[in-house]
Amino acid sequence: MLSYQLKNALNSIRNNPILSGLLICAIGLGVAMSTASLTVYYIYSGDPIPHKSDRLFYVQLDNWELSSSSNPQDETAPPTQITYRDLLGIMESDIPTHQSGMVATYPTVHPSGVDQRPFRAKTRMCYADFFPMFEVPFRYGSGWDRRADQNAEPVIVLDAKTNDKLFGGANSVGRTLRIEDREFSIVGVLDPWRPKPRFYDTFGRNATREPEGIFMPFAFVERLELDNMGSTICFGDFDDEFAAFLQSECSWIQMWVQLDDDRQREAYHGFLNAYAQQQKKLGRFPRPLNNRLVPVMSWLRDQEVVPDEAKGVLLISLLFLVVCSVNLIGILLGKFLARAPQVGVRRALGASRFSIFTQHLLECELLGVCGGLLGLGLSIAVLQFVNQSLDRGGLFALDGMMIGAGVVLSLVAGAVAGIYPAWRICRVAPATYLKLQ
Amino acid sequence: MELGPIIRALMHNKVRFWLIAIEVALTLAIAINAGAMLFELRDKYNQPSGMDDTNLLTVSTLPFGERFKSDSFVDSTREEDLRRLRAFPGVRDATVIDLFPLSGSGTIYGRRPLGAKSEDVTTPVIVVGRRALPTLGVELTAGRSFGEGDFVDDDVLSEQQLNRNVLVTRELADELFPQGDALGQVIEGQNEPIKNTIVGIVGLMQNGWPHSAIGKRVMLIPGEPGDYNGMRYLVRAEPGSIDALYGQLENLLFEINPERIVKIQTLLESKDRVFNNSLLMVKLLSGIIGMLVVVTILGIVGLTSFSVAERTRQIGTRRALGATRADILRYFLVESWTIAGAGLVLGSGLAYLVNYALAQVADAPRLELGALAVVGLALWITSMLAALVPALRAMTISPDLATRS
Repeated sequence: MLSYQLKNALNSIRNNPILSGLLICAIGLGVAMSTASLTVYYIYSGDPIPHKSDRLFYVQLDNWELSSSSNPQDETAPPTQITYRDLLGIMESDIPTHQSGMVATYPTVHPSGVDQRPFRAKTRMCYADFFPMFEVPFRYGSGWDRRADQNAEPVIVLDAKTNDKLFGGANSVGRTLRIEDREFSIVGVLDPWRPKPRFYDTFGRNATREPEGIFMPFAFVERLELDNMGSTICFGDFDDEFAAFLQSECSWIQMWVQLDDDRQREAYHGFLNAYAQQQKKLGRFPRPLNNRLVPVMSWLRDQEVVPDEAKGVLLISLLFLVVCSVNLIGILLGKFLARAPQVGVRRALGASRFSIFTQHLLECELLGVCGGLLGLGLSIAVLQFVNQSLDRGGLFALDGMMIGAGVVLSLVAGAVAGIYPAWRICRVAPATYLKLQ
Repeated sequence: MELGPIIRALMHNKVRFWLIAIEVALTLAIAINAGAMLFELRDKYNQPSGMDDTNLLTVSTLPFGERFKSDSFVDSTREEDLRRLRAFPGVRDATVIDLFPLSGSGTIYGRRPLGAKSEDVTTPVIVVGRRALPTLGVELTAGRSFGEGDFVDDDVLSEQQLNRNVLVTRELADELFPQGDALGQVIEGQNEPIKNTIVGIVGLMQNGWPHSAIGKRVMLIPGEPGDYNGMRYLVRAEPGSIDALYGQLENLLFEINPERIVKIQTLLESKDRVFNNSLLMVKLLSGIIGMLVVVTILGIVGLTSFSVAERTRQIGTRRALGATRADILRYFLVESWTIAGAGLVLGSGLAYLVNYALAQVADAPRLELGALAVVGLALWITSMLAALVPALRAMTISPDLATRS
């Protein structure tokens, strides 16, 4: 029965190729724009590390002064990053399973190849725990250990791209690389790694950037006097020397910890408050206790990682798909009712209303799915265009989930377009048309 | 005109009426909102920067030579760079600068009138060297520009930490001194023991965040920025020579000292990068509006064709009873005119509903009645044109059709 209906539906689509083509194109355009903007939204708003995002916390310490606010939008909010001296203070804790302060810098790399000019490389300064905490995948070697942090051992980890550029993709573990005026030995090379969004540092609309190309022990911030590439927010006065900057009340470091259960979390929160109390005795932290542990997804919401533009285009695209489907109602109505005499005969010969209805709805869904496939193809092109315009490599791409969403959207579009026309045609009275024959 | 019978006929076939009306309404609601967002973004992008931005090149140098860690070497290189840049054919002027305008980055300080109890005014600052105003191409509207005496050298404190004479933009001046008497006044930072005297006012200049609400606030501080972490120059080209300079300046700087990385961009390229989200959105929205119009036309042509086909015999009968071809054409056009009109009324309401939703999620601009009227009218005409195709076909239906079957 179904195969007979399918055959009828296919025949009907084939009988009027131009009209069918137009219908498919209209659904295709709607699905293309909707799927593409849904994908962009989905990638901005996604959970970058789903199985442990509720166990990773961003640390906020309120070292700010009484008289003004670090955040004009929310007077009660602590600064979004922490100071160097507080980082050193709280890294002393042994409560978190993993913990790492981190910051982006931009040192000069001197490749050993004769024909390679020195270049600046985005470098993430972090602690050993960065790699296990964020489950960073390694192709060769591994991260460094905590001892290397304490002793400021000159070790680095390269990402796959940097390793390709400098060593042609070979296993470079054990080789050295000169950065600024020092030789660093390479201990690990990453597999391609791209958390979506890049949750660990979202400042300055950075959430869709790639992770840095080089990872280096945090201790070298001080040793190499590396400037922060991200935002630095200061109050108070300090000299124009790096050492003075490190001792200042400037917040510029992101701090992440992994706390596996409530007890650990409470213990660590208690530790932070005790630390702040102790700093109050030294005349710092003048505001009431306001230290926060923010889980990944709340942090991304606080940081408003999803741009307004993405939300706006998503809404407009979905409405556009609605317009496409509504427009098809009229066209399908015309197409189906032109066939009324035929349907009349079929009804007279015993076809039930239901079977007429399902056959026509099936035809619409077939058109919908064809449009959906076309739309998915087009959405790849749209996403490519988005990647290119924003210089984001292959970040915005369809995955299984989004392909599924595209198919569902096209089925819904087919149903919206088809239900009324199919209902109308199944209610054709057989007698009227028999007379005319 | 026979509006009465047309409307009665329409009421006979409510589905067709409502379908076209809803199509037109949805199209209006989406097009007007997408259009409003698009124009707001474009206006923001097209705001004048106050600078001679089409002729400005940004030149960033990132030294890696160890010698650049010495202040005196940085100073002599800067001097040499600027001298050679200014003398280079096709260069109108050049200055040293700490961070470029229109680049998406910058420095912000808090400033308020000396002794005022008020909150600090958010004050973006840019440190610039000699010949900054002729290089930027900004207009001084009051007071004086920087003189040699304003560039006091200090080895310990940074430029921002000295009691410098400064220039401010009109926008910032009015924010600090709403009475309009900013010239000659002293401003201070709440948390810093620093005082600045406003010696001149610049008519208009955008800072590092031209897309933001504080995009036209600038405080220019005289100084000689640059160190091992980077030295930046702004170069103003003679009209027409910017493309040539683009390729030549790198070599010039390498000639002076090759131990650095040089990156050259036009100011407008850097601006496009800051606005890349907006520019992309403008393109996507234009695409959606274009497709929307095509799909709607398709829908109206389809529905009207259907309604003509359905009424072939009726039209034949009318023709046989003496209606002229023009009568038939007019009938369908008036019908389409009526339906589209109803759709537009519906769509205006819907437009505000969509606008409300967009404002909730995406800070959308408010709709303007004028724009609604213009887009509505355009849509009205478009839907009439779309109906014209099937209406012309209806016109050719011959009267004998009615008598034949």
